[in-house]
Amino acid sequence: MPSPSAIFRQWNFSLPIIALTINRRGDWVAVAFGDGSLALLPASSGAERPKEIKLHDGISLSLQPDADDHAFLSGGDDGRVLIIDPALDVPTEIANHKNQWIDHVAGSSDGKLRAYATGKNVHLLDADGQSTGHALAHPSSIGGLAFSPNGKRLAAAHYNGVSLWWTQAKETVPTKLAWKGSHLALAWHPEGKIVMSAMQEAALHGWRLTDNAEMQMQGYTGKIHSLSFTARGKYLATSGADQVICWPYFGGGPWNKTPLTLGGNEGRLVSRVAAHPKDELVAAGYNDGMIIMAPLDGRMEIMIHPPVGEKGMGVIGLGWNGAGDCLFAALENGYVMLFTIESVSQSASHAHS
Amino acid sequence: MDQIPVTVLTGYLGAGKTTLLNRILSEPHGKKYAVIVNEFGEVGIDNDLVVGADEEIFEMNNGCICCTVRGDLIRIISGLMKRARNFDGILIETTGLADPGPVAQTFFVDPDVAAKSKLDSIVTVVDAKHLFERLSDSKEAEEQIAFADVILLNKTDLVNAGELQSLEQKIKAINAFAKIVRTERCQIALDKILGLGSFDLDHILEHEPDFLGTSRHQKAHHHDDCHDDDDCDHPDHNHAHAHDHDHEHDPSIISLSLTSETPIDAAKFDAWMADLRATKGPDLLRYKGILDLAGSDKRFAIQGVHMMMEGSNLSPWKQGAKRQSRLVFIGRNLDVEALRKGFSAVAG
Repeated sequence: MPSPSAIFRQWNFSLPIIALTINRRGDWVAVAFGDGSLALLPASSGAERPKEIKLHDGISLSLQPDADDHAFLSGGDDGRVLIIDPALDVPTEIANHKNQWIDHVAGSSDGKLRAYATGKNVHLLDADGQSTGHALAHPSSIGGLAFSPNGKRLAAAHYNGVSLWWTQAKETVPTKLAWKGSHLALAWHPEGKIVMSAMQEAALHGWRLTDNAEMQMQGYTGKIHSLSFTARGKYLATSGADQVICWPYFGGGPWNKTPLTLGGNEGRLVSRVAAHPKDELVAAGYNDGMIIMAPLDGRMEIMIHPPVGEKGMGVIGLGWNGAGDCLFAALENGYVMLFTIESVSQSASHAHS
Repeated sequence: MDQIPVTVLTGYLGAGKTTLLNRILSEPHGKKYAVIVNEFGEVGIDNDLVVGADEEIFEMNNGCICCTVRGDLIRIISGLMKRARNFDGILIETTGLADPGPVAQTFFVDPDVAAKSKLDSIVTVVDAKHLFERLSDSKEAEEQIAFADVILLNKTDLVNAGELQSLEQKIKAINAFAKIVRTERCQIALDKILGLGSFDLDHILEHEPDFLGTSRHQKAHHHDDCHDDDDCDHPDHNHAHAHDHDHEHDPSIISLSLTSETPIDAAKFDAWMADLRATKGPDLLRYKGILDLAGSDKRFAIQGVHMMMEGSNLSPWKQGAKRQSRLVFIGRNLDVEALRKGFSAVAG
């Protein structure tokens, strides 16, 4: 194991961190804090002085890459939906629902649409921030929101299933993907034919839209907060177990296939996963602050940050820049760390020498 | 990070919940509470941490038929916990018709909620003037009393002393273990309802003299409730003993207390409780116990709601102290005789 000195740079914000997200272009990192503020850092090894801005009167409940590929989208418990452009000093408000929480936001990767959820309703906005029609109603509160890779469909997770909406059609009835239980985080396979949902019951459920085949994955210890498909969609990396569970989506999988299990099996729980943007490599953070990089080709994983062992030091955010040479990680208690592929390999070779 | 204490306020429509909530929020106690309300606008106090909830009851697919949680509470509490700590506790006001079961189970079932918050106690406000009517026409009113740690018998100015006494007897028949406080317009010292730690296993032990019954006589007299309370504290010659308030044929909710002087066989107890929870879970509303396990010097505490149970070893029994086990159930359709026999069978 390498010495725990793979950190290239780190920042202590002395504030609880809620989320860390990278924009679509992969050149900015946004970090949301428990006091409603936000820090922006260039997503490169040259990242130095963060830019801090006031975001919500309460906190951000959902921080995502915006449809605009250099911006971020945030929904808050102050009822506001904000676009954060790293070039500007103040966020732009695109919606405001007094006395309601904006639980989820999403931007489409084709740059055309934004969606946000408040309670049981989902609102769709076009690139100019104009509403595209009526609110999309659901039978219960929304647990997760995700556009398909081409932006043509929007998946909304709720109790007893996922609703799929065509974003261009003026339809009033969604396609219902039914499965008993409360559905939360969503992920689309990069090819856009499979929707996966993480459930309240510490399980995954998925639908292949081409033939309505369903899949159910169980055996997790905790709730699955983090889902990440690898670049070409070969694997889905997931948190929620003591190892990084990676389900294969090739060769007939994930049906009747056992997943890859990466990382040690030492009682800690994986809290966040982030697949590398180009290579078959997954970064994973644990609830005790440990961070690993795990190749999916059978090579040994590398610990790049040791467990901290204290409560409140779990990994709460993890993201790669677009070039794939910088990994940003956030700990709950306010630390943001930058690891570069170079700093990791130097640290690894140092440890082996 | 400490877990944030959560107090649940229940009570039938018109009993005085909102009055109590407004009192808690307006008193100069120096604390700040986040409040989850079922209806906006009722709370008259300006508080930026008032969140509206939409009662969403979710069944869990975990093979447990009565395992329901409040999905809206998971969402809201998880959201509140992300804030830099600018509040000291959470108050949840339930609707008048709410079953407190799913609310309580949320704190057992959801790992995120359980990691960052803890159920402190369930406070139920009842309307002295209308309690008997409510109990006859609403199953929820009875359940709200059954789940309570503290019961505010409110609007006492609207009934006479004799009525009050029979009201308290009725409440105790349902829940013999909650603390009953008589109030007018919910006038109560807030330290009697907040920060009680009623769901801490350690707390059961702190109140062990009460719980194990050694001070029960004084308590009973204090409340003028001497009916049928003559022998519940005394050793029963190594036989588990049921104390059932004369209600064994009543399909409504009753309290049952079982005691044993003989050490409990842990394996037998586990098997018995597992079976009880599996077969009678929906009818078991709340249960607690302190057990003297055979072969252990430590006191073992358990508590549960429906099928959800947790147990933990606590500090050792004091040298020379009387060791006994006590298990209490509050439930519906309790088969008193079967429970008594079952508890006897796991002793020794």
